[in-house]
Amino acid sequence: MIWQFDLIILGLLIVAAVLSLRSTDLLSATMIFGVYSFLMCLLWAEMAAVDVAFTEAAVGAGASTMFLVSTVYNTTRKSSD
Amino acid sequence: MILNLVCGALLTIGVIIFFGAVIGVLRFPDFYSRMHAAGISDTMSTNCLLIAFAVYQLHDLSWPNLLVVGKIFFIIAFISLTGPTSTHALMHAGYQRRNITSSRPRKKRKRALTEEEA
Amino acid sequence: MKTLGAIAVIITGALLLYASEDFPSWGDPHSPANQYRVSSHYVQNSFGETSVPNMVTAILADYRGYDTLFETVVIFTAGIAIIAILRGPIDKRVRLRLASERKMRETNLILAQTSRILVPVIQLFALYVIAHGHHSPGGGFQGGVIFGASLILLALSFQLQTALDRVSEKKAVTLAAIGILIYAGIGFVCLLAGGNFLDYSALQVLMPVGAIEARSHGILGVEIGVAFTVAAIMFAIYANLSSHGRMKGGL
Repeated sequence: MIWQFDLIILGLLIVAAVLSLRSTDLLSATMIFGVYSFLMCLLWAEMAAVDVAFTEAAVGAGASTMFLVSTVYNTTRKSSD
Repeated sequence: MILNLVCGALLTIGVIIFFGAVIGVLRFPDFYSRMHAAGISDTMSTNCLLIAFAVYQLHDLSWPNLLVVGKIFFIIAFISLTGPTSTHALMHAGYQRRNITSSRPRKKRKRALTEEEA
Repeated sequence: MKTLGAIAVIITGALLLYASEDFPSWGDPHSPANQYRVSSHYVQNSFGETSVPNMVTAILADYRGYDTLFETVVIFTAGIAIIAILRGPIDKRVRLRLASERKMRETNLILAQTSRILVPVIQLFALYVIAHGHHSPGGGFQGGVIFGASLILLALSFQLQTALDRVSEKKAVTLAAIGILIYAGIGFVCLLAGGNFLDYSALQVLMPVGAIEARSHGILGVEIGVAFTVAAIMFAIYANLSSHGRMKGGL
């Protein structure tokens, strides 16, 4: 565990989380959520939990982003909140 | 010693190219030129960094390390295939939609226009 | 309302930060979780008992076999629920929009050729991840998701119909059910062979190997079952979500 890496990843994690909640364009919120998942994956890999990181990369950053994009495509792209 | 030098040089080149990509994405005005900056330098810089990792692995030659080098070259082949293709896909999607001109917020664009006029 | 929510979030976050002071430091061997005899038993004996070098796989598929069985059932149920919701009657406005927007998207040549090269490699890598879960990170879940993603890539770069020609939705759901059947069936065979449910060491009467090797092979069989379910359900969910349950058009 290298604390400089930790600090950078955690800071970016908070930024990504807040941005994906604040964004009114649901497609960009989805993309930022994918970035969030990937940062979580980096954090797991950095804590030497490689299995969890692998799952997070495959499911969180890959499949679930894809599902969210197709849902946004079939519903609406704008959000009032 | 030489390995270290090669590794450092490749890392530096990769980071410099990546820096160019970042500046391009931040500073270029519209979608196509931004994608141009990101797409061209992305694949090259990532390949430079990965080759640097592979060179670093060669410090002590043993079968596990050579296996790691082989895996890194698989990643390089994968990125060289997918990077240009994804850039093409994004460009093509933008071209088909046709109404993408500038992705900057409107206020900033107006200010840029007035600056150009002045 | 929003300020109230922000205040609640800030108070909760401050409490969590305050509580994290009492956490044992990362990787501390003297923390309560590492002191308890179960985890030290796993660390010391899991390789000797299952001959699986990757401890995570051994715990996931052997010691915590029930847990993983019902996790797989959860994924299966989620897929079935999504299909059931999307197949229902849809709103009139949505139907009109679907009818107006759904014209065939032309296949892009460059994308098609690249995915023609990539899809077999990705599927081979998925099989490697499933089969190599004993020795390296990976296993049924990850390999299954990668396999499903290769099918999704096929649907994205060609038409949705191209992927559905390979694996139709009926086939996907059948494969998912077969995956759970493989998992529960291995457990049941253990029961028939005289052991407990999901106690793979009982499988040694069916194989020409000892009890420890039998556990290793049982874990591999279970992982294959999980991979079947996850891959098929991933593709079924994507096909339904992207085409509004109508299996036409797609993203």
